[in-house]
Amino acid sequence: MENLIEIKDLHASINGREILKGINLVVKPGEVHAIMGPNGSGKSTLSAVLAGKESYEVTQGSVTFLGRNLLEMSPEERSWAGLFLGFQYPIEIPGVTNVNFMKTAVNEHRKQNNLPPLTAAEYLKLMREKLAIVEMDPAFSSRGVNVGFSGGEKKRNEIFQMAMLNPKLAILDETDSGLDVDALRIVANGVNKLKTPENATIVITHYQRLLDYIVPDIIHVLYKGRIIKTAGKELALQVEERGYDWLINESK
Amino acid sequence: MTNYIYTPNQSSSFKCKVPLENARQLFVVDGKLQDSQSAEGDIVLDYIMPFQSEGGYLFKLDKGQSVEELLQIISVRSSKRPGGLNFANKVELGQSSNAKLLLCSHTLGEVDFQTEEDFNIEIGENAGLDLVIMQNEHNNSLHRTNFKIDMAANARLKLHLVTLHGGEISNNVSVNLNGKGAECEVYGLYLASGEQRITNVMNLAHNVPECHSRQLFKGILDGHSVTHFSGTILVAKDAQKTEAYQSNNNLIVSDFAKAYTQPHLEIYADDVKCSHGATVGSLNEDELFYMRSRGISLSEAKLLQQQAFAYAALAQISNNSLLDRLTDLVERRLRGEFANCRDCSRHSC
Repeated sequence: MENLIEIKDLHASINGREILKGINLVVKPGEVHAIMGPNGSGKSTLSAVLAGKESYEVTQGSVTFLGRNLLEMSPEERSWAGLFLGFQYPIEIPGVTNVNFMKTAVNEHRKQNNLPPLTAAEYLKLMREKLAIVEMDPAFSSRGVNVGFSGGEKKRNEIFQMAMLNPKLAILDETDSGLDVDALRIVANGVNKLKTPENATIVITHYQRLLDYIVPDIIHVLYKGRIIKTAGKELALQVEERGYDWLINESK
Repeated sequence: MTNYIYTPNQSSSFKCKVPLENARQLFVVDGKLQDSQSAEGDIVLDYIMPFQSEGGYLFKLDKGQSVEELLQIISVRSSKRPGGLNFANKVELGQSSNAKLLLCSHTLGEVDFQTEEDFNIEIGENAGLDLVIMQNEHNNSLHRTNFKIDMAANARLKLHLVTLHGGEISNNVSVNLNGKGAECEVYGLYLASGEQRITNVMNLAHNVPECHSRQLFKGILDGHSVTHFSGTILVAKDAQKTEAYQSNNNLIVSDFAKAYTQPHLEIYADDVKCSHGATVGSLNEDELFYMRSRGISLSEAKLLQQQAFAYAALAQISNNSLLDRLTDLVERRLRGEFANCRDCSRHSC
């Protein structure tokens, strides 16, 4: 089966400081990968680099996404190609309503596929359908993007956006941070409902907790900018019991 | 007779769609009020008439008189009379009267215009004025307006001052709060690009106690444009229980534009609530990246952010169809469509 994404020896720095020091990772359609690791290991940097954040500089390596050179693409081109990043800290955009934001995004995606923009009624129908996946009240749509949202509402909004854009690869950066148990269940259920044999998810997390709800096929442990361990889902339990030290020592 | 009649069936290429639907229109051409009398010589509206022999108009409401419909006064400079032009207008609102006015200024023909306009507004006790000013002139137009506004006790003013386009536009606004309980809200929006110069000077005097004022001016600057904002709030001695707020925010979207802002407070009373704030900033990179990561192209993301920034200065417009129209005009302006309006013989969005 064709690889969705193939990351080879990826090095990246910010302000001259190297954060990623040779990442290798292959994700195939239908797979769920989890990336775990202690603070400062480079988890969020990896997701930001893949989404195309310009403050990071890629110094070495390659990333191929559905046969294309991802690193040459702008953030919006990556989105059109089917990449989605769920933000750890979703950005608030005062004055831009959720409806306007998502409608613009969906219609830009459609434009890339030579489809006409959705009519107001078509958009509303699609929006209501996808809001239901994360149990969000349609009243959210008239509010400013993430403005005045609780932590849980922001993360639900991320998954709602993911549902609207229907990506081939979703990278969820610390989607569980700041969530209570109910919100965690809603967010995780949303992700599970969106799973198909054609798409894939990379879940980035600190804790094993989220992986009780979104069960990964493969777990990677990231430490100091490198993947030091790759194993099946049982690795999450071992990390939960023993922490990361034994893995760090083992890799030395 | 002028032929500026609203025709809903007009060609869609004429996007500007002047004048506003569901409003009564009057035209002022080169300072002269048009059609204020019918063919039979009857006065069409008893509250508006020519003001002085050289031009301008007088809008006058008697005590207790209220005009519910929105009156749109469309003032155009025409190529028949290029060069300098001075005239004065007056708005007089008697005690407990109410009016809603939309004043639009435009230019027809790409010749040089210099317009100097005096605008005196007197708002009587308990009277209310809802005034929206929309300025959309071409790049060879220099237009300076001196507003002098006097407000009596419990008078109310809501002023929106929207400068969409123009070579060199200056608004000097003096508001005198002369009677207790007067309330004044001023919202300004200026969009400057190319080599345009836009200046807003606000002098707001709290001469007596217990008056409220609020000013919000927002500017978006592109190209090599330069804008100035100078705002003074003066609170006279003994003008206790004054509440006065002023804020000016500028968004610069090019590397060459310049925004100057000077907030001043002069306070001679001791029991007051006053604040001022001024900011000059650029587009928010985090917001842009977030939007782009959802597939919104960079140009659309920038546009959305600018629209959101501008909207705060329009949101208080009470007439919904006017709010929609202005929101739409702001979007077209930010998309650069006005630069293509040359071919439109009625360049008067």
